[in-house]
Order: sequence, then C-alpha cells, then structure tokens
Amino acid sequence: MEKIQLINTLPNVFQTRTDISSDIWNQKVEFEKDKLYLVEANSGTGKSSLCSFIYGYRSDYQGQILFDGEETRNYSVAQWTEIRKKHFALLWQELRMFPELTAMENVQIKNKLTGYQKKKQILEWFEMLGIADKVDAKMGRMSFGQQQRVALIRALCQPFDFIFVDEPISHLDDTNSEIMGRILTTEAKRQGAGIIATSIGKHIELNYDKVFKL
Amino acid sequence: MKLVWKLLRQHISIPQFAGFFFANLVGVVIILLGVQFYNDYQSLDSEDSFMKADYLIVNKKIGAMSTITGKSSSFTKADIEELQDESFVEKIGAFTPSSFNVRARFDVDGFANFSTEMFFESVPDEFVDVASDEWEYKEGSTEIPIILPKNYLDLYNFGYAQGKGLPKLSTGILGAMKLKVSINGNGNSGEYDGKIVGFSSRLNTILVPESFMQWANGEYASSDAAQEPTRLILEVNNPTDEKITSYLQGHNYETDEDKLDASKTNFVLRIIVSIVMVIGLVISILSFYILMLSVFLLVQKNSSKLENLLLIGYSPSKVSFPYQALTVGLNVLVLLLAIVILLVVRSIYIGLFEQMFPDFQSASILPSLCVGFILLIVVSVFNIIAVRNKVMSIWKRKD
Repeated sequence: MEKIQLINTLPNVFQTRTDISSDIWNQKVEFEKDKLYLVEANSGTGKSSLCSFIYGYRSDYQGQILFDGEETRNYSVAQWTEIRKKHFALLWQELRMFPELTAMENVQIKNKLTGYQKKKQILEWFEMLGIADKVDAKMGRMSFGQQQRVALIRALCQPFDFIFVDEPISHLDDTNSEIMGRILTTEAKRQGAGIIATSIGKHIELNYDKVFKL
Repeated sequence: MKLVWKLLRQHISIPQFAGFFFANLVGVVIILLGVQFYNDYQSLDSEDSFMKADYLIVNKKIGAMSTITGKSSSFTKADIEELQDESFVEKIGAFTPSSFNVRARFDVDGFANFSTEMFFESVPDEFVDVASDEWEYKEGSTEIPIILPKNYLDLYNFGYAQGKGLPKLSTGILGAMKLKVSINGNGNSGEYDGKIVGFSSRLNTILVPESFMQWANGEYASSDAAQEPTRLILEVNNPTDEKITSYLQGHNYETDEDKLDASKTNFVLRIIVSIVMVIGLVISILSFYILMLSVFLLVQKNSSKLENLLLIGYSPSKVSFPYQALTVGLNVLVLLLAIVILLVVRSIYIGLFEQMFPDFQSASILPSLCVGFILLIVVSVFNIIAVRNKVMSIWKRKD
C-alpha cells in the first residue's frame, strides 16, 4: 500500500458542529509511505477515532477513506484481517494487551501469527527498552510505561506499510522516548514504511515531514 | 494457537460443561438405544420374510351345523370371482390341497425319530417370497422344497425336547436336514427328499411349490379327485380396511386374527419407542441449550480478549476455532461414550433375547450409529455457526 487518503472525512458525532477548524477533518489529506507524520490534537478532537477509522475498527464517519485510491468502507472481514496482518501496525493508546499472559507471550501471540520477527530481535528490543528482566513477567503486574514498551515491540512484529502510534510515550521518560523513537524509525526505514504518530502534548521526537493539527 | 488457547480458556466453567456432557450423554444414549432396540425387536419379528407382507388367509367358518349337514366349506368358482371383484383385493390365490397320501420321516441323528402322516398344500408362487431357484420343482427330481409352520418347531423345542432333555433346534440347523417323504396313491408310489427352505409363523400348513403339486396330483391322485379350494390367500392394499371385515362377516368367512394382533403389538411398541426417543431428543436439545448458554457466557466474559485478538490481525475463524473445537470435541466424546454404553446395554438384552429365542439374529448396529453421527453433525454444525456468529458480533461492534 502506497498511500492513504482522507477525503472530507468527519466523525458522525461532529456532524452538527460548525466550529471545526482542523487540518484533517473535512479536508483532503494524504499520507504517503516512507514519510513521517505527526498529528497533534487536543482532547476530544477525535484522535483515537481517526486511528479506529483507518484501522477498520469503526465506520461511524462520513466522507471517504481510500487506500491506494480504493474506498475502504466496504472492505470485507478477510481484507481487513489481511491489512492488520501485513500492511498496518497500530500501537493503541489503550495498548490492548492481555494481562493474563507474560510480556513475551503478548509479543509472541502476534509474532506467531505473522512469523515475522526472530526471537533474538525481540529480546534485543526488550534489552534496549530496559525491560529485559520483565520478559517473563505477567503483563497485568507491569506499570503502564513498561506495558507501553512491550506494546511497541508487539506492533513491530509484523510487516507494515504504515505504523500508527497513538500517544506512544505518554508514560515514558525522555531517555526511553528517545530509544523508542530510534527503534521505530529504524524498523520503519528498513521496511520503507510511513509513520503516523499522534500526541496531545509531549510528542515523540522524530524528523517529521509534516505536522497536522487535528 | 497454544497461546490463543491459553488466553481463551480463561473463564471456562467446568461444572457447566460437565452438566452439558452428562445431560447430552443421557439424551444420546436414550436415542441410540431406542433405535437399536426397535431394530433388534424387528429382526425378532421378521421370521416370515419369505411371505409377502399384506396378505390375508380366508376360509369359510366351520360350525356344528356344517359338520352335520355336510355343507361344503370350500370356495366355489362364483365365490372366488365375487371376491376378485372387490376393490380391496389386489391378488387372489387358492390353496391347492394334495389328493394323495403323504408320509414323512424325520431323523435327528441318533437321538430322535419322527414319522407321521401328513399332507401338502400349495399356493401360487407369486405369494411366496423365496428365491425362485430354491422354490422350484423339476419333474424327475427327488427333492421337494418345503415351508413348515413355525408351530411345529415350537412344539418340538418347547414341548418335546424340553420334556425329553433333547437339544433345542434352530431353524438354521433344521434347514440343513432332510425330511424323507413317501407318497402313494392311484397305484403309484415314490420316495422324495424334503428340503426345508423356511418356517412360517403365519401359515398353518405344509407348503410345497405349485409346480410340484400339479405334477404330483396328476401322478398320484385319482382322476376324479379335483377339489375346490377350502382356503384362499388374498393380497390386499390395506389390511386395516373396514370393508374387508364387513365383507368377510357378511359372507361368513374367517381370517387369521394373529396377523392383526401382531401388527397391534408392533404398533404399540413403535409408539413407546417413539415416545422414549422423543424424550431422549428433548434431553439432548436441552443439553445443547446448556452448551450454547455456557459458550455464549464464555464468549461474553472473554469478549475484550476476543476483540483484541481480532484487532491484532487474527481472523474471526481463527478466533472462533478454539471454542468450536471445544464444543465439537465434547460432542464427539459424548457420541463415543454413548456408543460404548449402547454396546454394553445391548449385550445384556441380546443375551436375554437369545435365551428366549434360539433363532434370534441381532440386527445391525449401523442404523443407530448413523443416527448418532447425524445427530453429531447437526449439533456440531449448529455449534460452529453459533460460535462464529457470536465472534462476528464482536467484530461488528463498531460503536
């Protein structure tokens, strides 16, 4: 997939509002592969909705979302599954991890599905992010910041054309944010993928090609 | 898949599934036993397989007056033609009696010797359902196929053999033995071998092929002895037809009542078995309901996990699979255990049957296995679709 286009897209809940001034809603927006984007937003401007729409999780919007010029609204279940497995990686703001499983199991449940990353690489990321000692710890017992880092590793365990990171560093210190940014850009560059990051204040420091105000 | 299972087995309620398992087991066992018992009972009742099903044997009533007045109890040509014109009659055949002397000797090797005066009768071959090469007499041959009344065998087995401590005989063993038959009349005599091809519990006569009877009556009977038949065999389209009874009564005819009795017993048994099977089916349906409820509860409790799996790229079929496998596995286990129980229970009642009826040949268990498999497949398909729909409803929950 080369590009994502949003044409006059607007969440249904914003329909009655007349005061919308946004770089994304009700505009023509294009995200290209191989580029870095930052979407800055205030609370309640529909940042998570945006992720959900593009990821096929929700469809309560008007306007169009196109992948390589193709309308996605009527994608089949199989098409979305394929996209989530091979084209889009998403680091959810609410992480969506499994508290019953260990950190490694949480990563492997994805990696076993895609068979994409080697275990050595995964362990290396754990090491780099300073959570090597938490590999076998139950997810439910870990702090949100630690879980955020595991969630990033899980998101990287698949081939992707775009990776969405929804407030990836909300609970991280500067050092860890910097490491996370490095891992993210290295992996994206290796795959030739685009990065779309969101933030509501502190944002992950990357060499953004374009910044949108939501 | 191991990790997915580890995740999705959370909240599985063992008591709920055990409840389903035993309830369904009881239901399936009752259904399979019902089918099997009915089939086994049927095979017990089907001794007359060589006589066609819906026939009646009709004779004129013999009262004290007819004995004294010497009024004939045979059917005249006019009687037969009148009967032929009735709408309920499909086919009609006359019993031809032998007009010569028959004496039969029967050797049960070493331990018993029977010798008796007897008689033969024949009916048209189309009423007898024996392979035509067995039910055939060729002129010049010394072998005569014979069908004996089952009563004769019962008299021997339960009266004679019991009293004298002789072994009981099955129809199979008797069929392999030869009856020595001497015939004389009209100045001729001959020795023949009688070959028993079957026993009938409905025909109270000794039946030989019509071809033999015609030939033998010509050979051994005095020429003027041509007789009118005293009994007729009727094939009717519906034996329970009211018109038959009223016609027979109106003409002072009699028919064999035990055919009616046998079909009554069969009818009652069929109703009882049906009721039992419906009960089994109801239990099975209720247990299926329990299973569906607990699976739905499980899916509900694990819905956030299922949703997250779908969001990280698992397809709905992959997510549904563990629960589908769980329910289908339980169903298969129930069926296997039910078959084992069926075989055990069956071996007990088969033993009883064999004691009571030496000739008993058990029916195949294939029909009940088929019923079991059909149940399994129907229930499993429902389970698979229900789980899939439930997972799809999670997929579609786009707020």
